[in-house]
Amino acid sequence: MFRVPEEVASIARDIKGMKIRGAGKIARAGAEALKIAAQRYEGPTDPERFKGYMEQVARYIVSTRPTAVSLPNAVAFVMKQLREAAGGFRELVDTVVRAADDFIRNSLRAVETIGRIGARMLRSGDTVLTHCHSTAALSILVTAKKTGREIKVYTTETRPKFQGRITYKQLVEAGVEAIQIPDSAVRSIMKRVDKVVVGADTITSDGALINKVGTSQVALAAHEARVRLFVAAETYKFSPASVHGVPVLIEERPPDEVVPAEWLKRNPGVKIRNPAFDVTPPEYIDAIITEVGVIPPKAAAIVLRELFGYSYEAEKLVLVAAEHDEAGVYY
Amino acid sequence: MVWLTSRVDQLYSIMGSTEAADYALREALGIIREAGSMKELRRELAHFAANVIKARPTSALMLNTFRDILITLRSLEGGLDEAKKLLAEKVESWITRAKEAVERLAEIGARRIPDKTRILTHSYSYSVIRTLEKCVTQGKRIEVVVTESRPTGEGLATAETLASKGIPVTLIVDSAARFVMKDIDLVLLGAEAIAANGAVVNKIGSSLIALAAHEARRRVFIAAGTYKFSVETVFGELVEIPSLPPSTVLSRDELKLLGEDYRAWFPLMDVTPPEYIDAIITEMGMVAPEAVPLVLRELYGAWPPRLPDIDELLEQLSR
Repeated sequence: MFRVPEEVASIARDIKGMKIRGAGKIARAGAEALKIAAQRYEGPTDPERFKGYMEQVARYIVSTRPTAVSLPNAVAFVMKQLREAAGGFRELVDTVVRAADDFIRNSLRAVETIGRIGARMLRSGDTVLTHCHSTAALSILVTAKKTGREIKVYTTETRPKFQGRITYKQLVEAGVEAIQIPDSAVRSIMKRVDKVVVGADTITSDGALINKVGTSQVALAAHEARVRLFVAAETYKFSPASVHGVPVLIEERPPDEVVPAEWLKRNPGVKIRNPAFDVTPPEYIDAIITEVGVIPPKAAAIVLRELFGYSYEAEKLVLVAAEHDEAGVYY
Repeated sequence: MVWLTSRVDQLYSIMGSTEAADYALREALGIIREAGSMKELRRELAHFAANVIKARPTSALMLNTFRDILITLRSLEGGLDEAKKLLAEKVESWITRAKEAVERLAEIGARRIPDKTRILTHSYSYSVIRTLEKCVTQGKRIEVVVTESRPTGEGLATAETLASKGIPVTLIVDSAARFVMKDIDLVLLGAEAIAANGAVVNKIGSSLIALAAHEARRRVFIAAGTYKFSVETVFGELVEIPSLPPSTVLSRDELKLLGEDYRAWFPLMDVTPPEYIDAIITEMGMVAPEAVPLVLRELYGAWPPRLPDIDELLEQLSR
């Protein structure tokens, strides 16, 4: 039995309901939720009881979006420090708060650094295509504009939830020339595109990209047209679980995101498939832009070894995040 | 002329090009019936033809049928009643011909689709739907996956139609086409026009699906009658791809949210190169896209086909 503070439950609901979007925001929300859970803890001040409570909160938070790899990473980052911490109840609470703040600060800086590095890879006059809404990809496009590179950006609408409209608005607000296209038009537009920049939900140890559904066909169309494709990804998007052989579950979302519930009721014979993500093979990716530098996709293992090492403890940690065992499509 | 604009406007809301042509032909019958003099008949029918061709600029079917009707119109000499009778017969023969051709190609296409096949289709095509229905008639257990086909969303109508016939159907967003491709056995699409080199003009997103099918080594078939072959492309004409203004695609609320100066490009069609197409299913049999000239020669009795230019025809008749 454990009670989750209302503020934490509310963050969990927002992550689950996709009110909090983008892996960076989800990760920071996860760290923030742990911080609040520690600060609002009202149980016995026994250090072991507190640690046990935090483990449960950690699993609860991770379970809201099992495929958002940044979420277990953020949680693992904070929990690792709590587990290793010694001292009394107060010190443990402080450890959680400090670790969460560190994660949030580093994560915010990562987006900025990726923007700076990625902008160097664009030239004035470039036409760029982007898909969905990615804070890291957006940072590259906006930084390019800020550093005097005049670019034009095509943004997909990104059905079913139209996250591309957020990208469109944010580009326009930053003074970047933006034009929206339907997802079905990505091959048509590709001849006019110089570079594709997309974000990442997860990068596996073999260099595959799991990202918003449609990304893999954008990449395929870019490959066909010999247009370069860059992935903007903070290092916490790299899946430590994939090193240990844990497959990534491709989340399938409710049908009423695609068509209204009344339509479904009128057409009971129609089934809806609504995968949230798809898998882009490393062959279609030219480079991954991270806050620690540009790497070829198949070098993902380097980043993973540097960040998480390879140990029994690391394996145990990722298996906690990989506890979900649902039917579905895995990569 | 208010009535004419409203008749032509209907063409935007009629989804498949076969249905759009059928509608235009039936409207043409009305115009023929109402004409009070030869002069009026020539002027009104030519005017209507010019407008429907403009309203559906990618539709080879529209162009081919109305060119043929205009050729008859130009050759008419006798009295008004005789002219009306001849023209009505011409128009009716086209209505029947299109119907029969779809039935015939659907029969051929269904024969090519094996039992227990999972088929991916896109948008809304009458020829595709008839082919799938024939599969069921032939006792084949098929499953269909259809994309919603943004920006206009005709995939929903396809899903509705197939489900009402008891065919198991799954609806996906356009972005999920590559995701489902591994679960698909073959892709079946319709066509708006087929160019001289075998390239297929069809609803936006078709070429992306064909590319994904090619990547996954899935076959792509096009269900389209021979009247969809674009004769103009033999002489180097390019098929122009119209796009829709955002105001016709988005709701008022959406437009408000996106701001007054919202910039978007919503093309209606795209072009699938012949390399990604395995065969075109026509009423004259299945042919590789590269064999289009062969079919055109049979159809028009000569290669290259000798047909009057549509603009010249329209000009002569409106004089």
